[in-house]
Amino acid sequence: MCDQGSHVMRGQTLFHDRLHPEIVFVSPVSGVVESITLGPRRSLSALVIRLEVGQHEPDPITMPMSSATEVRAALLAKGFWPAFLTRPFGRIPAPDAEAEAIFVTMTPDNPHAPDPRVVLADEQDVFTAGLKAVALLTSGKVHVCQTPATDIAAGLGDRIRGAFFASGGASGLTGTHIHRLHPVGPGRSVWSIGYQDVLSIGKMVMTGAHDFSRVVALTGPRAREPRLVRTITGASLTELTGGEALPDPRGLPPCVLSGSATSGRRAAWLGRYHQQITLLDDVPSRREPSAKGLVKRLCLVSSRPAPVIPTAALESALDFGVPVIPFLRALSVGDAETASRLGCLEMVEEDLAAVSLACTSGADYGRMLRHVLDELAEDA
Amino acid sequence: MTGWLLDPHLMRQRSGWSPARVTLAQLIALAAPVGVSVAERGAAQIGVLTTALVTCLIWEMAFALIRERALSWHTATVALIFTVLAPETLPLWQVAMAASFGVVFGELVFGGRGYGIVSGAAAAAGFLVFSFTGAGLATVSGAMALATLPGALLLLLGGLISWRVLVSAVAVLIAFGLARDGADSLLLVLTTAVFGLVFLVADPVAAASTQPGRLVYGGLAGLLIVLFDTIEGPAIAPAAIVFACLLASLFAPLIDYLDVKLAVRRREARHG
Repeated sequence: MCDQGSHVMRGQTLFHDRLHPEIVFVSPVSGVVESITLGPRRSLSALVIRLEVGQHEPDPITMPMSSATEVRAALLAKGFWPAFLTRPFGRIPAPDAEAEAIFVTMTPDNPHAPDPRVVLADEQDVFTAGLKAVALLTSGKVHVCQTPATDIAAGLGDRIRGAFFASGGASGLTGTHIHRLHPVGPGRSVWSIGYQDVLSIGKMVMTGAHDFSRVVALTGPRAREPRLVRTITGASLTELTGGEALPDPRGLPPCVLSGSATSGRRAAWLGRYHQQITLLDDVPSRREPSAKGLVKRLCLVSSRPAPVIPTAALESALDFGVPVIPFLRALSVGDAETASRLGCLEMVEEDLAAVSLACTSGADYGRMLRHVLDELAEDA
Repeated sequence: MTGWLLDPHLMRQRSGWSPARVTLAQLIALAAPVGVSVAERGAAQIGVLTTALVTCLIWEMAFALIRERALSWHTATVALIFTVLAPETLPLWQVAMAASFGVVFGELVFGGRGYGIVSGAAAAAGFLVFSFTGAGLATVSGAMALATLPGALLLLLGGLISWRVLVSAVAVLIAFGLARDGADSLLLVLTTAVFGLVFLVADPVAAASTQPGRLVYGGLAGLLIVLFDTIEGPAIAPAAIVFACLLASLFAPLIDYLDVKLAVRRREARHG
């Protein structure tokens, strides 16, 4: 819906979902479309907008948001719909889908992620407005999962209720909250949304403005000055981290991850659902063994996952009440039926990050899970 | 499946066990028992040790070359466990034959450590007892039992063997020991069984892999040990442990299967 070189305004629709044209993706900034890259099978892989400073920002347009249909229409039209993710499958919900419950995730999953209470410190009212709007989308409960302290969702009616989870590790992940409070499975679906998206929705409700700013934590061993940074979703990480990295004795550039050190991915742009940027040491490329002939063939480094040796660490790394080893075996052979009966519908990639790190095999179980989930989603 | 490995930055963050570290921990745990066996049985035992080690490593290298896989060195632990079980009076060619059978048909034909269904050392010891008339296994002394304990502690703390397997197997042995010979015999029962329990029965790959399944598996192994025990009196024959271990590991997949069925049913009941 836009061409290379065209000027776009903040909040202007850039493209929409192929299956559901109602789900639109809007521009987080005003600027010029610099490049559009298409991926395999005519998918859109990147759309780069160069920010133009000093351009006239569009006037905020308030939309009526007092009933469920109005909220739904407003969120779809203003491009906030992709903030929701369904569980099972971890995808953007269909425009007409109903959620049994909505989970607002306010627990950092690692000690370096931004503290939600700091981010929301001065904007309680805006956040509350956002929560109320989100609550109109479901007839069930809205669980505001937060770290133990004063209840941020107190006094908002009995459908919006606070739940308390310790920060860090598994208990900070949305998957754990859903497993504890509202287990999902075939035919039972809940949505989750991050607190910063609720805040943006709150701003839209109150002022009508498009606010895609995001507070992210700049962390990692190579970060010169770890701190919170206010930026926008989809910001260029190369520009954002320029000059932020500590020099490396070997002169290697840092490895920039969007997301945390365990579940983040190497990226050039800030991910839609990420609130953290991690700067790690780059991995030096592996040296070829200097030996020759038979010895070299014995010094091979396997390109396949090593065997799974059942250790106690595996059992404690996955907190979903599933028999861990049979579940990992089902995932690694792509047995979607067994994996689904053991409860893989409750999980997404980030939930398996810890178990992948603890396993002897070095296999990426998150990727295997996505493979299985895609297969299950096709049948569903 | 290929191409399912972790991203390099995650690979580097793995602080837990890798197959090589597991092998190393097992070798450290086995050092004391092997030392005691050499001290007790003299120079002949060094011959057994060397033969077993060389045989196992040659087979591992052969399979690594043919399959173009990395070496895991795990067959060294098979050789060490087998050395402790084998008596020093055994002809060396028999040692080589039994060790070959154990590593090849216990582990390597399945793809190596972690892919097999029985413990390689148990397969080797079982082959030895079945194939050569007059060949028995070495009896376990008190010093050997003591030397096993630090290694057992190391493996337990590292999570490489499950306390569930050990506790349920020991509970069954104690119950039968009490019923048969009274409380005085318990020490002898445990002394003769401890090495086999720690290094054969509790092998994480051969044992059941679900938490309740491990309790059942340990109990089954204990029962089979009592059943196969041919020695009069409270002491337990090493061969009884070996065969109990082999048979119990054949039942481990069935135990896992049943436990997974139960887990699925519990899940369905909870989620409606």
